[in-house]
Amino acid sequence: MKDMTRRSFIATSSAAAAMMLAACGGSKSSDNSEAPAVEAADGEYTLVEAGKLTCISNLYFPPFESMDEKTGEPVGFDIDMSKSLAEHLGLEANWLASQAFDSLVPTIKAGGTADVAIAGMTITDARKAEVDMSDPYVDSNQSLVTKVGSEETLDSLNAAEKKIAVQAGTTGADWAAENLPDATIVPLDDIISAMNGVLTGSYDGLVTDLPVSSYQIKNSFTELQIIEEIPTGEQYGIAISKDNPGLTAAINQALADMADDGSMAEIQVKWFGAEL
Amino acid sequence: MTHDKRLGKTRFAALVTTLVLALTFLFPTGAFALTTNKATARPNEKGGSGVIGGLDTRLTWEGTVEGGEQVSSIVLTLPGNGSFDGASTKITALEGLSRANVEGEATAAGNTLTVDFSEPVSEGLLLRLEVEGMRFPSEGGDIVVSGTYVNQSGEQQLADSKPIKTIANTALQQMVAALDASPAVEAWNSNPFLGMFFKPQLMLTALFSLVPGWLLCLMIVVIAYPFAIILGLIFALMKISKHPLLRGIAIVYINILRGTPLFLQIYIMFFGLPMMNINIDNNVLGVIVIAINASAYLAEIFRAGIQSIPQGQYEAASSLGMSYFQTMFSIILPQTVRRVIPTVTSDFITSYKDTSLLSSVGVMELMMFSKNLTSVSGNMTPYVAAAIFYLVVTLPLIKVVTIVENRMAHAERGGGHRPKAKTAAAQGDSQDESSAAGTAVHAEALEPEASTMGSALTSLSPATAQEV
Repeated sequence: MKDMTRRSFIATSSAAAAMMLAACGGSKSSDNSEAPAVEAADGEYTLVEAGKLTCISNLYFPPFESMDEKTGEPVGFDIDMSKSLAEHLGLEANWLASQAFDSLVPTIKAGGTADVAIAGMTITDARKAEVDMSDPYVDSNQSLVTKVGSEETLDSLNAAEKKIAVQAGTTGADWAAENLPDATIVPLDDIISAMNGVLTGSYDGLVTDLPVSSYQIKNSFTELQIIEEIPTGEQYGIAISKDNPGLTAAINQALADMADDGSMAEIQVKWFGAEL
Repeated sequence: MTHDKRLGKTRFAALVTTLVLALTFLFPTGAFALTTNKATARPNEKGGSGVIGGLDTRLTWEGTVEGGEQVSSIVLTLPGNGSFDGASTKITALEGLSRANVEGEATAAGNTLTVDFSEPVSEGLLLRLEVEGMRFPSEGGDIVVSGTYVNQSGEQQLADSKPIKTIANTALQQMVAALDASPAVEAWNSNPFLGMFFKPQLMLTALFSLVPGWLLCLMIVVIAYPFAIILGLIFALMKISKHPLLRGIAIVYINILRGTPLFLQIYIMFFGLPMMNINIDNNVLGVIVIAINASAYLAEIFRAGIQSIPQGQYEAASSLGMSYFQTMFSIILPQTVRRVIPTVTSDFITSYKDTSLLSSVGVMELMMFSKNLTSVSGNMTPYVAAAIFYLVVTLPLIKVVTIVENRMAHAERGGGHRPKAKTAAAQGDSQDESSAAGTAVHAEALEPEASTMGSALTSLSPATAQEV
C-alpha cells in the first residue's frame, strides 16, 4: 500500500513536472509568435502585451513611485505620468511588481518583460549605452541626509569609519563614491531601508535624490534632516529598449504633448504642489 | 542643549561671514570671477574605489560665476599625459537648484578641454562640466585641474582645483586591459549569455575583489557556529527535560526561530536593537543572528539525535549506577555526536549560505561585494564569481557528509574500523572533550572513540542514520 502511494506520487509528480515544462515551452513559443503580430497591428513599435504599456520600477521611491499602504497598488508621480502617457498613446498603463533598481536597465535591455522602466531614473551616458532614454520629464538634484541632531558635515562624513547608505546603481551612489571617496559606501536595494538605517544609527548618512528625501522627511521620516542640497541638475527619463526605437519616438512625442496640453503640469502640482 | 547648538551654529556662521568678508577684501573681485568649487573623478577601479590613471573615467568640474561677471569660455588643463581626447562633455548650469538654459560646445585637444558657451554665462550661475571618457595621467598621483577662462575683460587664470587622488595602473588592471584587447575574449563576450554571466575581465577582477567579503562570510559562520552548537545543545536538553517550564521555554524559542524567515530575524535585530539604544557592531550582530538562528535548528537535530538512542541504554547505564549527567555525557551524547555529524554539517552549509542575507542590512560580505560590482558594471559575472566562492566551501563539506554517511552505514551493518591500541588514549581524552564536541572537524577526531562505544552499545538495537 505504502509502495503504491509512493509510486503513484512519483508518477503524478513527474506528470505534473512534464506538464509544467510543456506549459513553459508553450508560453515562450506563443510569446515569440505574438510579438510580431502586435508590431504589425501598431505598425510602429512592439509591445510586450497588446494594448498595454507595461511598466517596471522600484516601488520604494516616493513620491515618484511607492505602494499604496492599504491596497498595495503602485502610486506616485511616475504612475500618474505613465497613465497619462499611455492615454496619449492610446494604450493602458500596466504596472508589474517592484524590482531592484539596478535590475531595471538589464531587464529592459533583455526585453520580453516590460516595455518601459519609469523609475525616477536619471539620464546618464552609462545608461544610454545600454538602453534608449526618453526626453527628460522632470529635473532633480541630490541631497545628503543625516539624523536630526547629528553634527556630521559633508567633510566629516568623508572618513573611513563613516558609513553612507545609497541605493545601488543610482546617481546618488555615484555621487557618494566620487565626493566621499574615503567613506564606506553601503549600497542597498531601496532608499527606504537606507532611511531606516540612518534613523537607527546603522549608517551615518545617505545620499539620494532631493525630491525623494524632502518628500520623505516631510511626510514620514521627520527625524531625518537634509544637510546638503547638492545641485547636479540631473534629469529623469524613461528607459526603453534599443530594439524599440519606434516606442521611444512615440513616447517623446507624447511627453511633448503632455507638456503642451498641461497634463504634465497638473501631475506636477498634484505631487509637488507646484510646477517644476 | 539645543540652545547651545544653535549658539554654536550662529557663532560658526558669523565666523564664516567674517572670513568671507576678509577674503573679499584681500582678493578684489575680478581676481576670481569664476570660482572653482570642486573637481572630482568617478572611481574607475573595477571592484574598488580608486581613480586609476590612464583609464577612461569621468571628471566633474564645478565653478560659480561671481557677481558682475560673464563667462564666455573655459579651458580645463590636466597635467602630464592626462587626456581629454575622445571625451564627451555634458554642460549643466544651475541657479540654486533649478536648471538654467546654457548651451555650449566642448573641444578636446590632448590635455586641454575648451568649452565655448553660445552666450556668455551670467553671474550667480553654477556651472557643471561632466567630462565622460577622459583619462588622468597614467603615472597616478595627486592631480590638480587648472585652466583659464574668458570674461568680458579677457582671459583670466582659473583657481586650481583641490587635488584628486589617483593611482597608477595596477598589475590586475593591466591583465584586464590585456583581456580587453584579446580578440578571443571579444568573441566570447559577443555571445549574450557568456558575456552576461562569464565575462573574463569581470571574472578576474571579481575573484580578486570578492576575497574580503568571502573571508567575512567564513569568519561570521566559523565564529557563530560553536556558539550555535552550545546554545542548540542547551535548548535540546531543555526540550527533553521533565520540567515543564524549561520544556516550554525551549519549545517557544525553537518554534519561533524555525517558524520565521531568517531575513525577518535579521531585520528585527539590525533595525530593532539600535532603536532600543543597543548599538552593536554590524559584523558582531551578524554573528549573533546567525548563531541564534542556527541554534534553533541544531536544537532539533540534537534532540532527535538524543532521542534516537534506545531507552535500553539509559537502563543499562543506571544499572551500572550512573547518574543522569554521567549517562548523558559519557554514554548518550558521544553516540549522538556521531549520529548527527552529517545533519550538523548540512546545517553548517545552510548557515554559511545564509550569511548572504546579511548583505541586505549592509554587512560587507560576499553578496554585498558582488551586488556592488554588478550594480556598477550592469553585468551578472560577479554573482557567478560569488557562486564559486560559496562552492569552494560547500562542495568539500558535501563530500565530507557523503563519506561520513557511507562509513556510518557501513558501521551500522557491523563493519567499520575497530581501533585497538589507541582506544584507551582516545577514551581518556573524550572525558574532557565530549562537552565541547560539536564542530564537524572536532567530531571527526572523536570518531574512532565514538564508533567503539557506538558499536558496543547500539548492538542492542541497530538504528539507521535516516532516523536522525
